[in-house]
This record gives sequence, C-alpha cells and structure tokens, in this order.
Amino acid sequence: MNEKFEAYAHPEVLVDRAWIEEHLDDPNVRIVESNEDILLYDTGHIPGAVHIDWRRDLQDQTVRDYIREEGFAELCRRTGISESTTVVFYGDKSNWWACYAFWVFTLFGHKNLKVLDGGRDHWVAQDGPLTKEVPSYDEAPYPTPPKRRDEEIRAFFADTLAHAKAELPLVDVRSPGEFSGEVTHMPEYPQEGVLRGGHIPGAHSCPWKTAANDDDTFKAREELTEIYQEGLGLKQDDDVVAYCRIGERSSHTWFVLTYLLGFKNVRNYDGSWTEWGNMVGVPIERTNV
Amino acid sequence: MSALPEKLEEILELFEHLPETERREMLISFSENTAQHEPNEGETFDLEDVRKDDECTDEVGVFLNIDDQGGAHFRVKLGPKVQTLTRAMTAILCQGLDGSSPQAVQAVPQDFVPRIVGSELVRLRSQTVYYVLTRMKSACAVYLKRERASQ
Repeated sequence: MNEKFEAYAHPEVLVDRAWIEEHLDDPNVRIVESNEDILLYDTGHIPGAVHIDWRRDLQDQTVRDYIREEGFAELCRRTGISESTTVVFYGDKSNWWACYAFWVFTLFGHKNLKVLDGGRDHWVAQDGPLTKEVPSYDEAPYPTPPKRRDEEIRAFFADTLAHAKAELPLVDVRSPGEFSGEVTHMPEYPQEGVLRGGHIPGAHSCPWKTAANDDDTFKAREELTEIYQEGLGLKQDDDVVAYCRIGERSSHTWFVLTYLLGFKNVRNYDGSWTEWGNMVGVPIERTNV
Repeated sequence: MSALPEKLEEILELFEHLPETERREMLISFSENTAQHEPNEGETFDLEDVRKDDECTDEVGVFLNIDDQGGAHFRVKLGPKVQTLTRAMTAILCQGLDGSSPQAVQAVPQDFVPRIVGSELVRLRSQTVYYVLTRMKSACAVYLKRERASQ
C-alpha cells in the first residue's frame, strides 16, 4: 500500500493511480467521477468511470434536500452499483464533489467507498488515461436502504444551533474573508450571496484547503494532526460539526477528520452559510476585517 | 430584445434545435477549440486585458483588435481551471462576434446564453458561462472610451 496512506486512521478509503490501473476491469469496482464543472466528465474521464452529478443525481429536484432511499437505490442500479460494489470517487476542485458524493453514499450506508487521492487534476497531471467513451453497465440489484442515516453524519440547522449554544466544536472551512464577514460569497461565486456575513458563534476558522497539498492530494497524517488536533485543539472523540456554504467544502473536511484522522463523531452541516446567513434572528459573529 | 450579430444568431440557431445529447457534444467541441482563439505569437492588439478576478476560477486574457471597417476581432486566453462551459462560450463568442462593431458587442443581451447552453446546464456553480461576454463588453467599452478621448 501507498506509504502515505498507511499512516491514516482508515487507509482503506484512499487509492492511488496504481490501484486504479490494477482495477480498471474489476467488475466489483465502480469508478465514479463527480465534478463542479458540469461538462468536465464529457471531455474525458478515467476509462470505465460513470458520472454522478451532485445536483442532478444526489439532490432532490424540488426541495433543498438529498434524494431519498428509493432514489438512491435507483441511482445505484442504473450505474451498475450493487451493495457489494466498491465505489471509488474522484473529481475536480481537489475532490470537493467526490467527498460530497462519498458523504451522500455514506448517508445511505453503502460500504466499501474510496476516494482517489488528488482527484481528477492530479490524475491528469500524472498523464493518467482518459476516454470520452461512456460505459454502459447492466443494471445491478440494489435493495432500497431502510433509511437515510441523517442523524449520524448530517447536522441540520436546529442541531447546529444547539451545538453552538453548547459551545461544542464547530469548524468553518470557508475562506478567511467569508469567515470574518468581509465578503458574503465565495470570490468565484457572486451569485451565492447571503444577507449576512460572518460565522456561527464560537466556530474555528480552518479553510478546507489547509488539508490539501498544491497537487490536490491530501496532506500527510502528521500535517493534518498538526492542523486540526494541535492547531484547533480538536480531539478524536469530540462531537464536531463542519460547515461551509452549501456543504461541499465541508464534505472534504468531514472526510479528512473522519477517515484520515479517525474522528468518531463528525457531522456535516450541509445547510451551511447559505442557510445560517439568511435565517432570521440567529446569532452571528464577525471578526475585524 | 436587442438583435444578435448575424454570426452569433447562426450559432444560436444551430444549437436551439439540437437534442440535449448533441447539444452537449457540440458544446464540448466548441470548448476544445478555444486554443484556436488564443493570441498568436507576436500578434499585437489595440487592447489587452489579462487578469484573474473574483468572478472566474482562473486567469482570463481578452485581446481586442479593431479593423479598418470598425469590426472587432477577439482573441482570448483561458487559464487551465476555467470551466468547460465557459470555454465553450468563449469559442462561440470569438466566432459569433467576429467583425461586429464594439457598439454591437456591447448591445448583445445575456439572455441568448441559456438558449445556446440549455437551461439544465445554467445553474448554481456554472454561472461563469456569462463571464467572458462581460469581459468582452468591458474591453469594447474601454476601447471606445480611449477612441473618444483621442478625438
């Protein structure tokens, strides 16, 4: 196994290029590309990879929520994923959406999930093969999961408010400008503005990017320990809630804390700042800008 | 609604009747042609505007030349992280606005974008599709301002 991976709390959740190349034709493995760039998969993808789109496939098309149990089973069936299939996610933006898809699959209790370290850009930088050929897989049997396990890894607004009032650890993974309240949207996404800037009272600021190297791979265990445990003072048994704007960057941090550092109780507040910053009457902290 | 330049209208008509799959293929094809619209080595321009600003994910350079008949000709250089849809729209605009006057470029309404791209693709996190048109209009505005100042 990759030496860097061995140091992580759950090294089995990461794969590298060599692993992918060994499993390109493995019928028990389904590679899934999940991106912010909606057409990127169509420009070329890892041979055999299917496309799962965060908006079209993972979210309810009307209500701000995720698909329900039957929708998830249907998604798996049509992408040839059975309960025993090992699913490997990768994507653009340092694996934001790959981690987001991993998190949604975890909501439904799918086992054997992995992430390609470095994601799509790292694969391309290593001259990994790409194809435009869209694979077709036989429909796989996938029973409808008994329930979506929101309470285990997902925090809703009320949970987060109670969490903040109890002064339990909150990690704000947005950029420093968003955290301070200087800006009300991510620089590249002006259409995602909110009515109020700032952060949830008591939250630590730790941008998601601090967990990633410049080549989009995850930082080594000892560096992550330094950032989250020594730097923020978080402990593996802490009850932690992570948030960003819509829950994708915080999925990255959720993945890092849960699988690379072995935290046992981390939830992603997917309503995040686009909910909190627009909600009437909730407390907000701002720092000097 | 303002009229679109003729070449842009032709591209629009090409897209409007395509089924979704073919529309996507056509967009990919345009996105792969952006290198053709980059400045050539040694080429000089009436106006160059290269920057990475807040509304886009990477650096975008817009280069403008105005010919003797007053027609605008754009070249655009995109950073590697610019989204595929934005790349496609860049190639469409370079082709569709070629030879239009700067005033005509400034008058191009944004509402043609969803008609080319399809409403399914214009959504949260793909809004940079509008960005290059804004930059081209801005380049034309600066050019016209300079022209007026020099007269």
